[in-house]
Amino acid sequence: MNKLDIFKNGITKENPILVQQVGMCATLAVTTSLLNGIGMGIAVIAVLTGSNIVISLLRKFIPDEVRIPAFVIIIAAFTTIVDLLMHAYTFALYQALGVFIPLIVVNCLILARAEAFAFKNGVVDSIIDGLGMGAGYLVAMILLSSVREFLGNGTLFGINVLPASYEPMMIAIQPPGAFIILGLLIGLVNYLSRRKKA
Amino acid sequence: MKNSYVRLGGILFLIAAISAGVLAFLNDSTKDLIAKNEAMAATSPEVLESVMPGSVMFNDYADAALVETIKSENGKFVNLQTAVDASNNELGYVVRTFSTVAGYGGDMELFVGISPEGKITGVNVVSHSETSGLGSRTTEPSFTSQFAGKDATAEITDFDAITGATKSSKSFLSAVNNAISIYDQYLK
Amino acid sequence: MNLISLFITSAIVNNIIFSQFLGACPFLGVSKKIDTAAGMGIAVIFVITLASVITYIVQKAILDTLGLQYLQTIMFILIIAALVQFVEMFLKKSAPGLYQALGIYLPLITTNCAVLGVAIINITKEYNFIEAMVNSVGTSLGFFIAIVLFAGVRDKVDNADLPESLKGSAISLVAAGLMSIAFLGFSGLQL
Repeated sequence: MNKLDIFKNGITKENPILVQQVGMCATLAVTTSLLNGIGMGIAVIAVLTGSNIVISLLRKFIPDEVRIPAFVIIIAAFTTIVDLLMHAYTFALYQALGVFIPLIVVNCLILARAEAFAFKNGVVDSIIDGLGMGAGYLVAMILLSSVREFLGNGTLFGINVLPASYEPMMIAIQPPGAFIILGLLIGLVNYLSRRKKA
Repeated sequence: MKNSYVRLGGILFLIAAISAGVLAFLNDSTKDLIAKNEAMAATSPEVLESVMPGSVMFNDYADAALVETIKSENGKFVNLQTAVDASNNELGYVVRTFSTVAGYGGDMELFVGISPEGKITGVNVVSHSETSGLGSRTTEPSFTSQFAGKDATAEITDFDAITGATKSSKSFLSAVNNAISIYDQYLK
Repeated sequence: MNLISLFITSAIVNNIIFSQFLGACPFLGVSKKIDTAAGMGIAVIFVITLASVITYIVQKAILDTLGLQYLQTIMFILIIAALVQFVEMFLKKSAPGLYQALGIYLPLITTNCAVLGVAIINITKEYNFIEAMVNSVGTSLGFFIAIVLFAGVRDKVDNADLPESLKGSAISLVAAGLMSIAFLGFSGLQL
């Protein structure tokens, strides 16, 4: 695959949330506001790209038998780095994302990319894969959280977008809304991709 | 066989050790910033917002000597602080004071926020011993909000007391006026 | 806090899946067969409870006393990974049928947000040891209930007449959402 294809792959064909459907927990939980969704997306990009780089650099050095524990240690380290940096520099976002920041370490996406790509490819390609998959994750997060914040609060980024007379659909912000809206979003994506094939 | 286990374990240990080292370094560099963030979170946002809208923390007033002077000259004064916002800009003064006129159950303790231009930004009750459901209603925003926007350059004489809780209302007012006189005398 | 109300809150009111979203991945991927789902649920109860005990002790005895809290993520996930390995080996020997049925889902318990999530929450909510245990058992029981209920629903849903685009995860998520609404009703539960 050429470099552009690697990048695009993560956004469309193998979109982590809409197609692969990994790392659902964070997706459902933090998308109550557009700002939080974007914050989480960027955090995931950081951990994913960072661990992809290191694992790719060390791929000749890490023995096959212990590669999974090695991946886990490296991914956990990057997760902690992001956690500490957010705790210090983006405190409000840190408080909003809560337990889901350390939970980035169990986001199947990152381990999957390490195993499927970074361990077998050069650093440059691994960076692009990380950025591409991360971008795909971010795009899906933006879609989901903007719908939820818009319907459930009438705002985007905390700014009122709908007239004051709008009665917010509280359910969109609550847990059921997350499940249902994501389900419908995936249904829509399925529909669009099937139409494209036909 | 055993040799390879040692080698495998050794490599994992090395990766773990380097990771731990990097994290230890990062932890050290961010420690102070993190502690500061956590401390800011400790003063309740509701209090911060109702006393000085937009503030995230009350810092002790820079001029400690002045604070001591006020303490020695004003018996009901408790503390003077500066309210700051998220970018560390100073928003105004926060005077913590008791009332000069006793309420039904004794003195009430208030936070009074005053802007640098001399207007009251908000008031919040720290503690009181007034009658529940009656005098305690002086803590409600419907009562306290009437003070926001008033001039801190002169004593307030005209205000809406709570019906049936005149004594508590007057005690409340005296605390606000004490804050006003402190502002006039020391901060203007 | 009253231990019984803590237990019921962890299991139902704040159901780990329908309310906290932790463990959503295996939940959505779980088989339609109720007995496999139940087997998975039991394995998870076991792993969560044991993981909570070990991580709690490690946090208090090692991380806190040495001021190494920043190593929490690494230590916890390694403990969980090791624990799942042991459970796998144990099941392979003593319950090979279940081991086969669970297949790939067994090692995937390591990446189940619920396990790490509960371990971390026990610490951030500053529970004492007993409270942490009650929370862990209650939470994993909630997972078990959710997963078994869902397997039952899944069976009916997958047999229904649906537009192609909605089949699979799309309708599963919508179904989960409807179940989540039902569980939302519990938040009014006064204990």
